[in-house]
Amino acid sequence: MSVEIHVSDLIQLDRCLWEIPVSTRPDMRVPARIYASEALIEDFMQDRTVSQIMNVSTLPGIEKAAIVMPDGHEGYGFPIGGVAAFDINEGVVSPGGIGYDINCGVRLMFTPEKYENIRNKIPELTHEMTRMVPRGMGRGGPIKLSTDQINQVLMRGVEWAVEQGYAFEEDRIRMESNGKLPDADASFVSEQAKKRGHDQLGTLGAGNHFVEIGRVEQIFHTDAARAFGLFEDQVVIMIHTGSRGLGHQVATDYLRMFVKKLPEYGLNLPDRELACAPINSEDGVRYLKAMAAAANFAFCNRQVISWEVRKAWENVMKSPGDQVELLYDVAHNIAKRERHRVNSEEKELIVHRKGATRAFGPGHPEIPERYRKAGQPVLIPGSMGTGSFVLAGAESGMNQAFGSTCHGAGRKMSRRAAKREVDAQKLKKELASMGISVEAGSFAGLAEEAPAAYKDVELVVDTVHEAGLASKVALLRPAGVIKG
Amino acid sequence: MKMPKGVEILPHTADIKLKVTGESLPELFLTGLASMNRLLKPGFCEEEQEVSRVEKVELEAPDSTVLLIDFLSEVLTLGSLNRSIFCDCSFESISDHNLVALLEGRSVNEVDLDIKAVTYHEADIVLNDQGNFETIIVFDV
Repeated sequence: MSVEIHVSDLIQLDRCLWEIPVSTRPDMRVPARIYASEALIEDFMQDRTVSQIMNVSTLPGIEKAAIVMPDGHEGYGFPIGGVAAFDINEGVVSPGGIGYDINCGVRLMFTPEKYENIRNKIPELTHEMTRMVPRGMGRGGPIKLSTDQINQVLMRGVEWAVEQGYAFEEDRIRMESNGKLPDADASFVSEQAKKRGHDQLGTLGAGNHFVEIGRVEQIFHTDAARAFGLFEDQVVIMIHTGSRGLGHQVATDYLRMFVKKLPEYGLNLPDRELACAPINSEDGVRYLKAMAAAANFAFCNRQVISWEVRKAWENVMKSPGDQVELLYDVAHNIAKRERHRVNSEEKELIVHRKGATRAFGPGHPEIPERYRKAGQPVLIPGSMGTGSFVLAGAESGMNQAFGSTCHGAGRKMSRRAAKREVDAQKLKKELASMGISVEAGSFAGLAEEAPAAYKDVELVVDTVHEAGLASKVALLRPAGVIKG
Repeated sequence: MKMPKGVEILPHTADIKLKVTGESLPELFLTGLASMNRLLKPGFCEEEQEVSRVEKVELEAPDSTVLLIDFLSEVLTLGSLNRSIFCDCSFESISDHNLVALLEGRSVNEVDLDIKAVTYHEADIVLNDQGNFETIIVFDV
């Protein structure tokens, strides 16, 4: 069912919030809402984001609204930037609402060093991290996991990494869900998925995944920054990757199953990529357990990369790797069992975030104690050469968007167009002139990730700040980029 | 990027969206496979390479569209597991609901594009005005 939507058809609920009423299409169960400033809203009319979020609003058991964050854009099935929460008794779980890269996410590490003191070492540090962190398509790493070991990773997440010496206990407690989703069951992950993952722990992959050395350029919120361990001109390291081929295979396996079983579930969907299963069905439970296992693999992957980064730091700086501390680790492609207020009633929900970040407000028990007063740290990578942001979850976001916010700048130009319009060699020189050292797998890959291909991350972050979904804490500027 | 005959690249903000056509169902499936291989590593299948892997794929699906997407997904998985690109394919049998395919793969060290998945999004095999089979295929990259 297709309905063409223009900005004039939207109801502006607030300065940064727009609604497509439930009456727009007969199959919608809840309204669709878009967080966007006046400057960003027109972008949403340029592709299929709006029709995709309207499709999401038709799914059984959806609560309150189908939501798109300001960095949103068209995806497949769910749009990127999508948030949707489902009643655990009446609702469904949809692998497409999480994405193929299960628990793709971001972590930020901070160092004790000021940029001005080590700026001459950044190119060497970038190069050494390139050497230490395997990257590229299908590339395996030095760790080869046996079947028993991979099952341990899938079941125990970062607990396994602590036990094996790839993580400190302090790392584990500074991660979303402490680096382990408790419902994981490795027996629901296929042998093919395990085989794809057996040599991929500690590998970056390709596409928009990266390791970035940056510096804190500006502090917006002094108390929160202090709680997070950040100060001006500090050198920080950001890591963006996910569950690699293992996660892709888990999503593929279950989507293939769910598509065939839609008639059995009594579901008639506007898009097969929204294929889903009732949360309480045997298939739904199995998927959630397999997804949790893949999420644990992703938490562990980012942790082992952190270990590689710490080794690179030791090699170049001749200082202990434990000087590089984890600030926080967030998932932005995931479904979580959470409690939220809906129509004044607290309910247990499965919250899908596809290209959206959990952003719990101050005081929430799931936030590590040292950050609890400030709110959950939220990590928003910008495009290469622009800024990234550290935010803090806000109380007002809990009721508005199930404690969620944006996850990045958000693409606005196709990869093909970027390759056509961006001169990658020139871009690399421009970045170098800005003091940004780039190690890219290919010039084509570099062009795809050019800043011009993305929305302005400052507009995106200003939107979620103004909407009360998360508060600005610090602005980071890149100094060295290792692209997957 | 030059795509095989019968393939048109359509706009998509983040992923790769193709319109694929074929005079018959087997031709549509083979063109879809050739497109995916071209995305993985342009020119690879046009080079003379030794066959290093042979696989037999047997699939069932409720309709031809699901069968096509599942077929491409299966080949993508096999390629990832075996570090191969399956350039050659012949069908022992193919209908709207099932197929038996023989695939010949060649070893590849590294592909140029990381295709995460072949999606069902907007896929729908129809007969177009020219009487050819036609569908959209969106690859998650």
